Amino acid sequence: MNATHPLLSRLPGGLRAQIPILSAMVGLLLLFGIWVPNFLAPENLIDIAQQNCVYAILAFGMTLVILIGGIDLSVGALVALVGTVTTFTLVQGWAAPLALLSGFLVAASFGLFHGLAIAKGRMPAFIATLASMMVARGLAFGFNSGRPMSLPDEQTAILALGNGRVAGFLPIPVIIMLALYGIMAALLHFTVFGRHLYAIGNSRAAAEFSGVRVQRREIASYLGAAILTAFAGLVHASQLYGAEPASGQGFELNAIAAAVVGGASLKGGRGSMTGTLFGAIIIGILDKGLNQAHVHFSLQYIIKGSVILASVWLDTRRRD
Amino acid sequence: MPTLRRLAPLLPCLLACFVGACSPGKDAAAPSNSSPGSRLFAVSFMTFNNPFFVDLNEGIKAVVEARGDRLVTLDSQNNSLKQRNDLSDILQQNPAAVFLNPVNWEGIRGTLLEAKRKKVPVIVVDTDVSDPDLVLCQVISDNLGAGRLAAEALGQVKPDAKIAILHLSTAKSCIDRVTGFREGMAKFPGMTLLDTQEGKGSIEGGRPVMRDLLGRYPELDAVFPINDPSAIGAYSAIEAAGRTGQVTIVTVDGSREAAVYIRDGKIHSSSAQFPKEIGRVAAGKAYDHLEGKSVEKDIRIPVKLVTRENAAEFLQ
Repeated sequence: MNATHPLLSRLPGGLRAQIPILSAMVGLLLLFGIWVPNFLAPENLIDIAQQNCVYAILAFGMTLVILIGGIDLSVGALVALVGTVTTFTLVQGWAAPLALLSGFLVAASFGLFHGLAIAKGRMPAFIATLASMMVARGLAFGFNSGRPMSLPDEQTAILALGNGRVAGFLPIPVIIMLALYGIMAALLHFTVFGRHLYAIGNSRAAAEFSGVRVQRREIASYLGAAILTAFAGLVHASQLYGAEPASGQGFELNAIAAAVVGGASLKGGRGSMTGTLFGAIIIGILDKGLNQAHVHFSLQYIIKGSVILASVWLDTRRRD
Repeated sequence: MPTLRRLAPLLPCLLACFVGACSPGKDAAAPSNSSPGSRLFAVSFMTFNNPFFVDLNEGIKAVVEARGDRLVTLDSQNNSLKQRNDLSDILQQNPAAVFLNPVNWEGIRGTLLEAKRKKVPVIVVDTDVSDPDLVLCQVISDNLGAGRLAAEALGQVKPDAKIAILHLSTAKSCIDRVTGFREGMAKFPGMTLLDTQEGKGSIEGGRPVMRDLLGRYPELDAVFPINDPSAIGAYSAIEAAGRTGQVTIVTVDGSREAAVYIRDGKIHSSSAQFPKEIGRVAAGKAYDHLEGKSVEKDIRIPVKLVTRENAAEFLQ
């Protein structure tokens, strides 16, 4: 960590750190470009970004908490809960801004709870978020007897969040993902807050001795992760044209995988938003490429598992 | 080069990809999907964690491969987003037709719209979608008939039965079974429905619910669990309560497991579905459509009652 030259020295160094993952991405694109006809067609490449924006947005939030050595297992269930709350309030006839606000408030209260329980209560993040995962899932099933609900057809703006395109070309969910990436990357790499997160992840005690208000930063991280989850939940509900209380199961694992493939270390202190974005895209390329090459789904799981394993191995070797 | 050395661990994955490319069952470089004998078909299931769908897949595959075409099978793992992504991958490759067993019968709309835009016919199997106009046709078990058959089988032995239903009210197919069952009940004025509870369609779900029902209603003498697994769960609760032989179980599915229970007299009957037949008919309709023939919108595959007399046939 190099905190003395905040702007200029960080950017090139940060980019240099992305070279391995960028090469892996280009390598995969080339591989599938040769293997699968029309794989590199623009429409197909845009589709990769569109298919993975929910996972990528969740992974941005996951990166925030992984950086400080934490974890958030509740995000998949929260995706379902945010979608259910927003859809339910819209069906009840609430105005769209109020319905959106209620979804965000529900997510934020979960985030705040995680932060308080983990930073102040010193509960292990794994257990605290595992417990709230169950609570959030239960709450989601509490609406409409657990059955899916449809978004009202007149909510065209909300339906566009997951399905619309600007100029008939660039999908709106991809724009949302890129905007959130921009904000989170700026926050993490160009602010004192971001540097504090790295410091906490490297050594909580050292950060505390150097005057970082560790507990506040930790609470802010979990809150940030929950708010990003609310964005993901909203896009996901829009993609499904409604809320599905059972949806989002296992999304937390996809988000963790994207962050880890992108170079984040579960021990904290290492990772970046750019890496996480690339990690999500690499998993997306693998998913699409293997599907379009018609590789049997049993083999796909094995290959994806191997890629994650390889990334972790890479991470530990770089550390030595 | 240090960078290349860092990438070395990724080599096994690339290798694995190549292994995938050379794996059997895949004829490489067959991009044309228009001419018979090389066309691409895909089927997406809500889950592969149920022998019913494995059989359904076999039924489709047999027809498609007999014509020399290819079938890609996709497993959604009950994840609507994975199903949407899997299908958009395949739709980019202009398949001849897609078979679909939706995770969420409303949430699939985005995929159906995309298929329609790309002019790819979609054949829905085993369950309904909320927009039948967006699909070529639906091939489903006659769930109403299955429920009716179960009620009639019960009426033959207990025309005055006091009944409980173990429901799975999130699934359209099970809602239809219960509707059919109540239609069948109407023919027997002596029958009474005591209670309807959620049995979750599984052995673990059916057992505790049945145990509670037995405690609450001492007069209970018949139960309609909406599928074989919850019927097996109900039986184990009845056995544990020492009420074996007093409560008649009628159900739907006709799986091998249930056929054993029926042969041994533990379950009275099950209205058998025929997943391979659903697959065979669905694939046949796809080819009819591709040959320009018109296809009925709503196809119901008949069910058949499994009883102690014919249980042996279903044990094959």
